[in-house]
Amino acid sequence: MKFTRRDFAAVLAPTVALAQTPAAPQANPPRPPSPPSGGDAEVDAARARMKANGDTLAKQAVPMDIEPAFQFKA
Amino acid sequence: MAAIPNDVFFATITELNACLVAREFSAEELVRAFSARLEQLGPRYNALALPLPQYARRQAVAAGNDIKIGRLRGPLQAIPYGVKDLLSVANQLTTWGAKPYAGQVFDYNATVVERLNGAGAVLTGKLSMVELAGGGGYRLASASLFGPGLNPWDVTRWSGGSSSGSAAAVAAGLVTFAIGSETSGSIVTPASFCGVTALRPTYGLVSRHGAMALSWTLDKLGPFAHSAEDCGHILQVIAGKDGKDPGSAGKSFYFTPQYARPMKDLKVGYAPVDFADRAEPPARAAFQAAVAALRETGVQLVETKLPQYPYGPTLSAILAAEEASIFEPLIVSGKVNELADPSQIAGLKAAMDLPARDYLKAMRLRRLIQQAFTKLFAEVDALVTAGRSGPAPKVDQPLDGGPARGGAAPAPVALAPAAPADPGFAGIIQAGNLAGLPALVLPCGFADNLPVALQLVGAPFAENTLLAVGKEFQSRTDWHRRRPAGV
Repeated sequence: MKFTRRDFAAVLAPTVALAQTPAAPQANPPRPPSPPSGGDAEVDAARARMKANGDTLAKQAVPMDIEPAFQFKA
Repeated sequence: MAAIPNDVFFATITELNACLVAREFSAEELVRAFSARLEQLGPRYNALALPLPQYARRQAVAAGNDIKIGRLRGPLQAIPYGVKDLLSVANQLTTWGAKPYAGQVFDYNATVVERLNGAGAVLTGKLSMVELAGGGGYRLASASLFGPGLNPWDVTRWSGGSSSGSAAAVAAGLVTFAIGSETSGSIVTPASFCGVTALRPTYGLVSRHGAMALSWTLDKLGPFAHSAEDCGHILQVIAGKDGKDPGSAGKSFYFTPQYARPMKDLKVGYAPVDFADRAEPPARAAFQAAVAALRETGVQLVETKLPQYPYGPTLSAILAAEEASIFEPLIVSGKVNELADPSQIAGLKAAMDLPARDYLKAMRLRRLIQQAFTKLFAEVDALVTAGRSGPAPKVDQPLDGGPARGGAAPAPVALAPAAPADPGFAGIIQAGNLAGLPALVLPCGFADNLPVALQLVGAPFAENTLLAVGKEFQSRTDWHRRRPAGV
């Protein structure tokens, strides 16, 4: 690859130093399908999923001498 | 912009380093060009969280001075990069992609930023992410302070999460490399959807000091780049012991692909169903061609079965327990309601009620999972499967069915229409994260004009093996060098 200083000058010419502020979001981002709520029904649904996960875990037989992987190391 | 060869923005670290050392252009010129491009095009993909042009200019001048006097610090010197906005950069905004933290500033650098600074790399900006890295489980691509991550290959598609901006910025040539994070899928997913090479390192290899915690026992930081070789160079810099991270493995990493075992001696396990019935139909041809290309590298592909464990429920319980403790002040204060995604809000609230016995059971199962993978890696050197089983979904559709946990864990975004009886490597993302295994994402073709990728998974600390296979694969294919139209 060969890039000359002239190449860089071409791209840098219109550059204006900008303040280090957060970027503005896109002008017209796609709209989400529904507004945020996280209401009681959704929390109940999340709890139900968690309960179902717990039921799955409860069915797993684990020998008594298998201790939790605290201080997890790969 | 048209006058400059676009190649510079898509060049690898090795290529740019050669140009800098040969003084084809200066560090300052390179960094100014990238900074301008990031500010101009970053918003097009909602990829930019915070441009840092002045910060970058100071670093570029220092790097340039070093190069001029022959003080060469390695391949990353003067290379422009970005970091996911969950990494602290001293005295700059660090929002974690979430409205409740929109004004947050730390007074210290994350360890990875310090290490990259030390290697002379130049930070040009912070990159967008799914709020709180998707911890509560999110349903919408718009679950971010910065809006939905848009895919440079098609802006009507999602860039993936939760390291959305890291993947999109590399794919669009806005930075030469980026740092992202994974708790369960947040590197693998966006890299696959954006057609970018990326590495999820072994748990503990890269310090998380200065990174937002989502799950102490699952979080990892890793690079997105233009090649496997670049990922190796980056990992060598960011890996290493750090007393500030209690999870640090205390190990360094030296990128030495030249010392890898011959390809013909490597056994790579796979499940044919992953590239057939478990893959989305438009992606099957690309995956099968990629497997054929992988076979041509000389590796032995052997049919393998994953140990059978409830990976999803195990990971969900661990993540829920740890995130509930980490974000307890946010949840209890009610500020959690300021998040953008209702499923995230609900998931975090519900996580407060997770029974201790579920967490303990999951952590005990995790030991068995680790032991099972230790046995598996006595038989094979690596595993290969799809990064995701199809291309990126539409950005305005729910990522259903069911919220994605921990940054786009495999909710059925990627499932084929009817799940086949043979599970193949289903659950490999959760399994790999539970066992702390490294994974390398390799772009491998297109489906519906969108990228798809393979992932190679290895034993703990087997990054050099994965990178050697990846480098060999990429020497025979050019998927990793393709670039989106219009950038």
